[in-house]
Amino acid sequence: MTQTNSAPPPPPVKPAKKSPFRRISIIWLVPLIALVAVLGVAVKTYLDQGPLIKISFDNATGISAGSTELHYRDVTVGVVEDVGFSDGLESVIVSVRLHNDVAEYVDDTAQFWVVRPEVTAQGVSGLATVLSGVFIEGIWDSAPGGLVEKFTGLADAPLQRLNDEGVLLTLRAGSDVSLTEGAPIVYQGLNVGKIGKTSISQDGTTAEAQAIIFSPHDRLVDTATRFWDTSGFSFTLGAGGAALDFTSIASLISGGVTFGTLVSGGEPLEPGATITVYADEATARASVFSGDEGETLNLSAVFEENIAGLSVGAPVELGGLNIGRVNSLNGLVDADRFGDNRVRLVATLSIRPGKLGIEGDQTEETALEFLSGRVRDGLRARLATTSILTGGLKVELIEVPGAPPAEIEDLGDAGPRIPTTASEVSDVSATAEGVFQRINDLPVEEIMTQAINLLGNINALITSEGVRSAPENLNGLLADARGVVNSEGVRALPGQMNEAIDQLATLIEGFNEAALSERLGKALDDAADAAKGVNSAVEGVPDLIARIEGVAANIEEVAIDKMADQVTELLTTVDSFLNQQSTRALPESLSGALDELGAVLVQLREAGVVETAKDTLNSASNAADTFADASRDLPRLIEQARLVLSQAGTTIEGYQANNGLGRDARTALREVERAAQAVSSLARAIERNPNSLLTGR
Amino acid sequence: MKTAREMDLIGCKRCTRVSPPGTGVCPRCGGKINSRDPKSLQKVMAWWVLGLACYIPGNLYPMLETKTLVSSDSSTIVGGAVELAHHGAWGVAFIILLASVVIPVGKFVIILGLVIGVHRGPQVSDDLRQKLYEVVEYIGRWSMVDVFVVAVLSSLVQLQTLVNISPGRASIFFALSVVFTMLSAQSFDSRLIWDTGRTPDPADPQPEGTGPAGTEKERTA
Repeated sequence: MTQTNSAPPPPPVKPAKKSPFRRISIIWLVPLIALVAVLGVAVKTYLDQGPLIKISFDNATGISAGSTELHYRDVTVGVVEDVGFSDGLESVIVSVRLHNDVAEYVDDTAQFWVVRPEVTAQGVSGLATVLSGVFIEGIWDSAPGGLVEKFTGLADAPLQRLNDEGVLLTLRAGSDVSLTEGAPIVYQGLNVGKIGKTSISQDGTTAEAQAIIFSPHDRLVDTATRFWDTSGFSFTLGAGGAALDFTSIASLISGGVTFGTLVSGGEPLEPGATITVYADEATARASVFSGDEGETLNLSAVFEENIAGLSVGAPVELGGLNIGRVNSLNGLVDADRFGDNRVRLVATLSIRPGKLGIEGDQTEETALEFLSGRVRDGLRARLATTSILTGGLKVELIEVPGAPPAEIEDLGDAGPRIPTTASEVSDVSATAEGVFQRINDLPVEEIMTQAINLLGNINALITSEGVRSAPENLNGLLADARGVVNSEGVRALPGQMNEAIDQLATLIEGFNEAALSERLGKALDDAADAAKGVNSAVEGVPDLIARIEGVAANIEEVAIDKMADQVTELLTTVDSFLNQQSTRALPESLSGALDELGAVLVQLREAGVVETAKDTLNSASNAADTFADASRDLPRLIEQARLVLSQAGTTIEGYQANNGLGRDARTALREVERAAQAVSSLARAIERNPNSLLTGR
Repeated sequence: MKTAREMDLIGCKRCTRVSPPGTGVCPRCGGKINSRDPKSLQKVMAWWVLGLACYIPGNLYPMLETKTLVSSDSSTIVGGAVELAHHGAWGVAFIILLASVVIPVGKFVIILGLVIGVHRGPQVSDDLRQKLYEVVEYIGRWSMVDVFVVAVLSSLVQLQTLVNISPGRASIFFALSVVFTMLSAQSFDSRLIWDTGRTPDPADPQPEGTGPAGTEKERTA
């Protein structure tokens, strides 16, 4: 089936070009360009590749080649390329491909550590690494110092992440302080620092820890700053209730440290300075004034008294200011020096020159010089009581006025020795014990018992029937006296006397008539007897007055109103008795009787009847007898009155008198006295001139 | 039956009009015409090499990077498929493997086979070669389904730190690989299949001088 009739001419065939490039398609440029691009990228990548550094770690927990990153300020600056071992398999070598832009800075200041998730009392850190895996963190300073290829990685993150972050310190634990790694440093409740790795100091005596105070709080710390422990808690139970106090949960669990600049004038701390941490704030404050640092002057002092209570560390005070402490204590026996073999107490005092306040250099020499001068002026060392309760002793340097001259002796190796003086040790416990013993010995209970008994007796006395009835008795007594005075017998006395005198007058008249001298003489004798009876009765009156005076004297001192009233009443009664008409009328009656007697005698003279006279004389004799009888009654009456007043005086004794009563009583008694004098004078008149009874003159 | 070339005619690939030899431009549609693309195999091989080159990182680098709050995960195509298979998602794993491994690799092999067939003489029938070529041409675009999935996921799942899916480096290379293999397949002048064909034609025995060992230059001459 060929188309022969219309066979077309053979198609013109272009001759092949001679150039070999014509045979190659332009399209090959595409893979060529791709190849060039790939090569370019490869070369660039290779050229951009940073250096490889090798960091050795103890272990490579969580580090994996190809994915674990190196961070600087939380920016990835490298990737771990390989994890291998060092020679001898002693450590893990982690090879890290650094980025080129930081390579210059990774010099010998660089530090590397592995950031792992950590859960501590202070919080959780590195939480991101829980999910993303650990990473290596590095720090280095900001000055390029040339690449270093081998590093030793840190086991833990360093305290100071960046150089400008704060001030690094070395904390030294004082007594009773425990430093905890990772514990916070708190200031005014803020976390301003952190305690790092703890270790034992080189001499093995204290624990030390690195610590950092973060910027900007590092300006709070200077040489005057004191650090103290705030760990633990305090529990107080008081009137305000129970109080539990602690700084923070973290410090409760793991401890913490705080600080305060207690005095001004500190200088900036040098980085890495060693600072002591005290157990509490009080100790820290005390340390400001005790001054742990600086050289010391050692003095010895020999105390005559060997007194227990002085201990090493006891303060040495000058004018109340702590200038040092007791360094050591020893006994000393030096027969040559002291002349006996007694053991004496030698204390070595370590004095801090800085505390003496010396101008200029505060060295051992200037301090010794200063003290020597003061010793010449009388400065002496002595023991004194620190606390009256504990009985602890301290060494006091005081100036003793008029002390015998003494110097600080230089004993060569033993150092200077300061003279001492008598100690002022008040053994308060013993004194207090003595006081209490004395108080104890007081017969307090006996005194109390006696006092109670006394009061009981007084009470019983006062409430007793006798005392209560004493006023009534007195009243009754006075009433009795009044009754006696007012009694019929006494009252009747004037009447009877009158009658007797009448009879006597009749008798005398009859006698006159009859002139019977014997009978008259007998009658007169009887009359004399009667007068004598009156006289003897009156003799007791001065005694009575003396007693009344005694009573009055007592009354002056004593007083009970009622009593006084009653006494007044009594005296008034006595007065009224003496003033009463019948008594007053007695002399008048006597006078009247004598008048009547005279009249009778006149009548007798006129009548002149012997029998009548005889009868009259008999009657007179009877009357005289009766009068004598009556006179005999009078002493009894006076005795009774005296008795009454004596009883009244006795009763009044023991009471205090007030002046008013005393005056009243005196007045009354004077009246009594006057009445008594009147009676006395009457009696004397009768005694002196019994005839007047008969004659009426 | 003779081909246009055997009849000294040039067929236009756009409008199928035949023109006499020497015609550079199709008189009907104005398209550039030539009897055979003289550098077809070169183009095919160039794109093929690029495609293959891109296919290698496309499989080595992660295709998809999934970042969730607690984890960051990136997986390559094959790794992802294997993981899916481990989780029992055999169907999905099969589809991914088919679309991302079997088809691209098959394309590379088929294109290379076609080129070799043209260059060294066919080992299989012309009909099969034509069918393979058509399959390659047709199926090429579906390889982009992988890239498409990655693109959709990346744009939809953007929840910041919670869940974040972003295309991995492999996605770009894989896409480039697909593009280059498609270009490679399109660069292949399917007419060459028949030039070297050994389809028995009892009525018209194969003319001499057009053996399978002939060079491209000779064939296009």
